[in-house]
Amino acid sequence: MKPILLQGHERSITQIKYNREGDLLFTVAKDTVANVWYSVNGERLGTYNGHTGAVWCVDCDCILNPRKTLEPCRPWLCKQLAMLNTSSAVRTCGFDFSGNIIMFSTDKQMGYQCYLNYFDLRDPQQIEDNQPYLTVPCAESKITSAVWGPLGEFVIAGHENGEINQFSAKSGEILKKVKEHSKQINDIQTSVDLTMVITASKDCSSKLFDSTTLDHIKTFKTERPVNSAAISPIMDHVVMGGGQEAMEVTTTSTRIGKFEARFFHAAYEEEFGRVKGHFGPINCVAFHPDGKSYSSGGEDGYTRIHYFDPQYFDFELEA
Amino acid sequence: MNMHDTEDMPPDVDYDEDEPSFSDPEDFVDDIDDEELLGDLLREKPQEADGIDSVIVVDNVPQVGPERLEKLKNVIHKIFSKFGKITNEFYPEGPDGSTKGYIFLEYGAPTQALDAVKNADGYKLDKQHTFRVNVFTDFDKYMNICDEWETPEKQPFKDFGNMRHWMEDPDCRDQYSVIYESGERTAIFNNDPKDPIVAEERARWTETYVRWSPKGTYLATFHQRGIALWGGEKFKQIQRFSHQGVSLIDFSPCERYVVTFSPLMDTKEDPQAIIIWDILTGQKKRGFHCESSAHWPIFKWSHDGKFFARMTQDTLSIYETPSMGLLDKKSLKISGIKDFSWSPGDNIIAFWVPEDKDIPARVTLMQLPSRQEIRVRNLFNVVDCKLHWQRQGDYLCVKVDRTPKGTQGVVTNFEIFRMREKQVPVDVVEMKGDPESKNAESIIAFAWEPNGSKFAVLHGESPRINASFYHVKNNGKIELIKMFDKQQANSIFWSPQGQFMVLAGLRSMNGALAFVDTSDCTMMNIAEHYMASDVEWDPTGRYVVTSVSWWSHKVDNAYWLWTFQGRLLQKNNKDRFCQLLWRPRPPTLLPLDAIKAIKKDLKKYSKIFEQKDRLSQSKASKELVDKRRSMMEDYRRYREAALLQHQEQKAARLELRGGVDTDELDSNIDDWEEETIEFFINEEIIPLGE
Repeated sequence: MKPILLQGHERSITQIKYNREGDLLFTVAKDTVANVWYSVNGERLGTYNGHTGAVWCVDCDCILNPRKTLEPCRPWLCKQLAMLNTSSAVRTCGFDFSGNIIMFSTDKQMGYQCYLNYFDLRDPQQIEDNQPYLTVPCAESKITSAVWGPLGEFVIAGHENGEINQFSAKSGEILKKVKEHSKQINDIQTSVDLTMVITASKDCSSKLFDSTTLDHIKTFKTERPVNSAAISPIMDHVVMGGGQEAMEVTTTSTRIGKFEARFFHAAYEEEFGRVKGHFGPINCVAFHPDGKSYSSGGEDGYTRIHYFDPQYFDFELEA
Repeated sequence: MNMHDTEDMPPDVDYDEDEPSFSDPEDFVDDIDDEELLGDLLREKPQEADGIDSVIVVDNVPQVGPERLEKLKNVIHKIFSKFGKITNEFYPEGPDGSTKGYIFLEYGAPTQALDAVKNADGYKLDKQHTFRVNVFTDFDKYMNICDEWETPEKQPFKDFGNMRHWMEDPDCRDQYSVIYESGERTAIFNNDPKDPIVAEERARWTETYVRWSPKGTYLATFHQRGIALWGGEKFKQIQRFSHQGVSLIDFSPCERYVVTFSPLMDTKEDPQAIIIWDILTGQKKRGFHCESSAHWPIFKWSHDGKFFARMTQDTLSIYETPSMGLLDKKSLKISGIKDFSWSPGDNIIAFWVPEDKDIPARVTLMQLPSRQEIRVRNLFNVVDCKLHWQRQGDYLCVKVDRTPKGTQGVVTNFEIFRMREKQVPVDVVEMKGDPESKNAESIIAFAWEPNGSKFAVLHGESPRINASFYHVKNNGKIELIKMFDKQQANSIFWSPQGQFMVLAGLRSMNGALAFVDTSDCTMMNIAEHYMASDVEWDPTGRYVVTSVSWWSHKVDNAYWLWTFQGRLLQKNNKDRFCQLLWRPRPPTLLPLDAIKAIKKDLKKYSKIFEQKDRLSQSKASKELVDKRRSMMEDYRRYREAALLQHQEQKAARLELRGGVDTDELDSNIDDWEEETIEFFINEEIIPLGE
């Protein structure tokens, strides 16, 4: 498959997200800029300027129109809707299922603790006062990645120490917790029906959990730290992207494009394919909601959109 | 404060009674310490036992009559004065006036007596008389042995089971040790082409690394306090050797002895830097001093374990086992000796000495224990030499770096000694370098083919490194069979059975691998194991392991298993993998003709093996298929339950999104807007007519 190369960032990509229909792809990077592209041909629709620091995360709500996107503390509505200032960097953010509640977590930096904040967009007072209706402190280990649960009742958060916790959106208490990973969770993504979540961890593995019970279902092992993982909407496949720490990059093979996205069979936990092409570690992967393509954003600042060949859909491991 | 000693002194007979008495009153006791007054003299104070300690007894002295006594005494004097001044001598005479055949000699100091014992004991005066020298006090010791014989306590026999158990694996799998988790875990695997099978795995089995004994019987592990040896089916601890701070070990080829080195323990009186142990009894046999461990092993063993030798400044010391004493009681003085090594097939030592004024440099082959020089080869204008023995001791190659007269550059020759031919003829292979440059080819690596008569040389400068293969033929010629140029290689690894080999570019050359069949010098396969740091053949020559050790590279630590032809079988990633060592096999018990017979009937045997292989393959795929089937069933069951729950929550979802059904992408076709967008796809310039 010939990938579409999106060049719109000057620094490494931190996150990419499709909108609900999949026709738009949002990419954000450390260069303070957020871009949105047509996923069908890679043409850039526009750019959101205004952040002053690296943009770590993006989410787009699912209401057909108008579209809102959320980046660290700035919910945009095609033009900026609101700006919420925080005391330390916002590491992860997301709209809940209804699109009315935003959650974001702040980093443990400069003396400030890690907090998980909830804002209700229907209450303009909260935005004006910059007062979340609920703030949950995380004393032990900071949150590195988080997604909403199926019905907006809780947020599933991954921590620096490998823990995964369910934080209630109403009370802030921890409903469930598991510790299956031994090192930092780099990314959590949900399946398209929100029943499962997949985690990507620095301990070189990725795990599949049930979103409600946090039961550990599958494990996918590699030899490199995994930066991001996603679940295919239509096949029993998962894709993982990773690499090493940026510092150690020069010690791997300098052959061009050796950083690969790896495809695993979700039931058999076996790797069946790899896609090369990035010049640096892959920081984020995402499936198109229709499952016919996927995208990956890398440390090299490029985002690549790949449309699967027909053989991909026919492929089956012997069973 | 004691004056007791002077009490026993005889009264001073020369004392003159007329003079006034200057002595202290009878009961005067002074308050000065003897030590203060005459400390230095006291140290030399004759001890009661002194006299006897310096006396030696010499037996097997010729019995002579009085007329020849004077001559005998002169001869004895000449021999024994070497060790010190003889202060006293006694030649007991028998009733017939001739000497009894044993004499007593006294030296000035006990050290001299000991010296005499060490060196004169066993001295052959003539055919019938070999001196036996002992210290007099020894007789005392032996006389005083308890009359009652106490049977030494019988130590219970420690049955360690079948020490060769691993050789009885029905599928003939070889074992290898793996250290991983940066040394925290050590495991022993049985090598199966499908997947390694764990035989044993322990945490903190060793503190640094492990070593196998030469025949594979023992696994040695290192600890702060010493070495431990493990073996048998369950790898029980067989033996322990206490040597604080041990850092290096070496086994004798016969597996009877192990040599340990520790830089910590060494005192002048008790040499403890290097200790040689008897493996079966656990006893310390002998200790040696050692200045530096730069060229370990310091002691080199002969192939049968009968001798071991080491080289010090201008000296070659050869010791024999089991006495651990110097062969012929003295070291060989070889002025300027630079290097030596044992033949792996016979008790022959090769050593070389550099030029000395007008005496050219030379390589000498010496037979042990006779010390006969069976071959000497003079070399001219030598800068350096390296000795390379072929595995069976059939050939010796001396790599000679020379600066020919009148030139500045260094030229390299290989002097090939044919050990199995009469008078050891020597042939020379010159490494001609690039005619353009003044310097000759730099030799990167050299290796003999085991079990064969070929050798491989890597020469040149990166990136133009060449691999040359030579064959030492019976007719006195050494033929260059083939040269591969522009190779990415810095090391040569022959299969232990010969014929096949791997050229590897380790570490800085990023793990390039070339698998070569030297019977016709073809490249069977070219591959790569990125950043490989080691290559290890299994003892049978069927498999090769390439590995990336955590000690040399911090990422991608793994070991890969290949067939001897270069087909990759397995990639085994191990967290912080450090070291893999194959377990050596003991030499085959089959006689040569039995091996020949098996090779002849190979077709018959291979049929049986192929059938076995096919069965196990289909079993494996069947297992895999079954496993996958059950995994899929579990997964399906889970998904169905999840989907059911999802359905139940549909109402809630509709509510959250204001009645809009968003479950499927096409749930809301009515709401879709159709948009036509034009994309620029292609530009084509079509020239029009004329």
